Amino acid sequence: MTAAGRARRIVWLRRAVQTAGLLLFLGLLIATRPREGAEASPWLQVWFDLDPLVLTGTWLATHSVAGLSLLALITVAATLILGRVFCGWLCPLGTLHNAISALRRRGAARRDMGRFSPWQRLKLGLLAALLVMALFGVHWLGVLDPFGLLTRSMTTAVLPAVDVIVGDSATAIYAADPRLGSFPLTRISEPVYRFFRDRVFSGQRPAFDGAMLVALIFAAALVLNLVRPRFWCRYVCPLGALLGLFSRRAPLRLRQTDACTHCGRCAMSCPAAAQPEKPGEWLPGECFGCWNCVAACPVDAVDFAWEPFWRRPRAGSDGVTRRGAIKALAAGVAGLLVLRLPPQARARAYHPALIRPPGARPEREFLQRCVQCGLCMKACPTNALQPTLLEAGLEGLWTPMLVPRLGYCEYECKLCGEVCPTEAIQRLTLAAKKETRIGLAVIDTTRCLPYAYGRSCIVCEEHCPVPDKAIYFVETEVPLRGGGTRTLKQPKVDADRCIGCGICEAKCPFRDRAAIRVTSAGESRHPDNQPILPGAEPLDAGGADPAADSYGDPYGG
Amino acid sequence: MIRTTRRSFLKQTAALGGAALLPPGLALGQDAAPPALAIARAGGERSADAELGPLARRLTREALAALGGMERFVSKGDVVWIKPNIGWNRAPELAACTNPDVVAELVTLCLAAGAKTVKVGDHPCHQAAQTYRTSGIAAAAAAAGAEVVFLDASRFRTVALGGERLKEWALYPEIIEADLVINVPVAKHHGLARATLAMKNYMGVIGGRRNAWHQDLDQCLVDITAYMKPRLCVLDAVRVLTAHGPVGGNPDDVKRLDTVAAATDIVALDALGAELLGHRPVDIASIRAAEAAALGTADWRSLPHAEREVS
Repeated sequence: MTAAGRARRIVWLRRAVQTAGLLLFLGLLIATRPREGAEASPWLQVWFDLDPLVLTGTWLATHSVAGLSLLALITVAATLILGRVFCGWLCPLGTLHNAISALRRRGAARRDMGRFSPWQRLKLGLLAALLVMALFGVHWLGVLDPFGLLTRSMTTAVLPAVDVIVGDSATAIYAADPRLGSFPLTRISEPVYRFFRDRVFSGQRPAFDGAMLVALIFAAALVLNLVRPRFWCRYVCPLGALLGLFSRRAPLRLRQTDACTHCGRCAMSCPAAAQPEKPGEWLPGECFGCWNCVAACPVDAVDFAWEPFWRRPRAGSDGVTRRGAIKALAAGVAGLLVLRLPPQARARAYHPALIRPPGARPEREFLQRCVQCGLCMKACPTNALQPTLLEAGLEGLWTPMLVPRLGYCEYECKLCGEVCPTEAIQRLTLAAKKETRIGLAVIDTTRCLPYAYGRSCIVCEEHCPVPDKAIYFVETEVPLRGGGTRTLKQPKVDADRCIGCGICEAKCPFRDRAAIRVTSAGESRHPDNQPILPGAEPLDAGGADPAADSYGDPYGG
Repeated sequence: MIRTTRRSFLKQTAALGGAALLPPGLALGQDAAPPALAIARAGGERSADAELGPLARRLTREALAALGGMERFVSKGDVVWIKPNIGWNRAPELAACTNPDVVAELVTLCLAAGAKTVKVGDHPCHQAAQTYRTSGIAAAAAAAGAEVVFLDASRFRTVALGGERLKEWALYPEIIEADLVINVPVAKHHGLARATLAMKNYMGVIGGRRNAWHQDLDQCLVDITAYMKPRLCVLDAVRVLTAHGPVGGNPDDVKRLDTVAAATDIVALDALGAELLGHRPVDIASIRAAEAAALGTADWRSLPHAEREVS
């Protein structure tokens, strides 16, 4: 069999592997949801564990490694032997880019698209800059890491869009109840709807603040494939750049022979612009190992072959210069300073709305680990975890924040810590999680109905999940407008008991701005951000529990 | 305060209770009204917690039998909606939700009485996917043959209630379209209402801004109860939550009463529930309001009623 014939089979094999990888990614993402069973599987985050960029960045920032992240060494080993096959064969974002690239118009412009551009060095610059930042403790890798980008985009933008399409269509069909003859369409729409609602979204209707920005960036990354195939992978992806460094001496190399007729088909088929068409100038740091060029060659002039790794590959240069490296490092330092200079980044201020999920490490350590992937937001059963915009500074862009107006921290849940790929949110036992304070409820007496409007309302107390209630009542005689008084139960917060879960704020009848709101003060993770000296003046010392009604035992005799 | 000990209670109801052991109709002659309220409580040795499930089922079965059997309420081919309290993400042991075995037994009884479909669902306070699971109700009801229904926020429909406080409100169509709605609350403490029982359980058939109801809870409950026209309510007092309700969470607040009561008169049932929780019915504002609105009788002892002891 000719080299091209063999390569065509290999290309089909690659497509099958890519499809499987993408399906595995989507399957794991969808499985990252509240479900039966005690603990979330550690394999849900396996893509991040396989990502050496996450490993490197976390290690540089924290001098530690998380969970199964040493699996990334498998990726490194594979790259050292086979080149950037992770990009070409496995990466689900790369596969998506491949698919979009295939939609390009065929024709004359294609030869151009396969030509190497010096701008492809940009990704190396980004990698260097991001690693410099990580070394000094600013972990912004997740913004550009392919798994951070893809998971965040799918979670906050794509899946909610699917939910809107499926949910609204099904609801419209349900309301109109159209029939084909005697066959009700709801017979089809309802099972589909229920499948998505119960199996994919686990009963939530997810919606995320700032999803528009994430969606625009994701859409741009996809659309740019029409400008250059796999634009993102060629020019931007810092993981691709890192793997490119490992692949330069890989023993599986493209052998280019004299049989070449310079027809250029290999270049047109090359998604990486790795110069298969220039004998002796193939770029192993760019090549995805996709075998397209071998399959496209009509004269078998190119083929992959094993060479001993100690022999220098016959390869071209991407033209990385010392000057370029210095520019990248300087950019990293500049980026570091921009992100680090605001007062909040220097731990001199605390944002009241920055309520981190339970188990989140102290802010500095948290930011050194969080890769902004949004898996915690995907897992959160109440849709309470939302991506920040600037609440945590630009440094903390798209990190998770609890927004009690939109949801609350479910008392019996600890899923966010279980799915976090970098242990930015630590795994807690349920008992420990229930004791972890993420904030403190504050009553706004200018809004609260029993204080401000002389009406009874106990919704916050009713929902408070702390077994002995962190919200209690003080019965107060309130003067009425027309004279006379009314006795009302006015809620108060027991600061020693409140864990800041936010269900009081989520359920308050004031829908626009709740009359009871959670602030980040009091969070367990920050000894400084504390208004209360715990236990200093216990409210119910020695007395009856103020929230308990008297209970007479009817059978007590 | 009226204190009813088990002994005095049995004495008071000895004649009626004894008669109720006979088939309904025979007890007091053919003309006697069927009981409006039936109580089943465990007698004899207190069973272990582990055997509570089968006991809850027997109590439910007996309470319904004493009330005249499920056939009294379910006709062949009916669609029945069972409305337990599935409000909170709490395990059955914490008594924040209706006992799953009580629900499952009702499903079985409805199907045996000829119901075509039995649906089980509630509009919970916590997220439904979790409360349905944690409460054990989804699994138990499905195993008994029910269709477990999640209520969709987008599918509530505004309905004219014609109440004093509530002219109209968002209700769940599937519930109000059912041939029979069985209201199955668990008896619990509540910070505002003191006790949450059958009338308050109707807060799970409504949508909208129901958190505003607390500003005039009693009238709102009267309005929704009048609209729902209850025909059968079953009170789960197998375990009751005595403090820090309605969500609870502290096992020390839970008390076993090993009792299930069924009634056609929701006010009578709530009055009984109030007593079980240690209140005088007259101290529960919604019971007073409902009686004033002629929705039923708080003095349940004045009604034909039956009591059975289940071993």
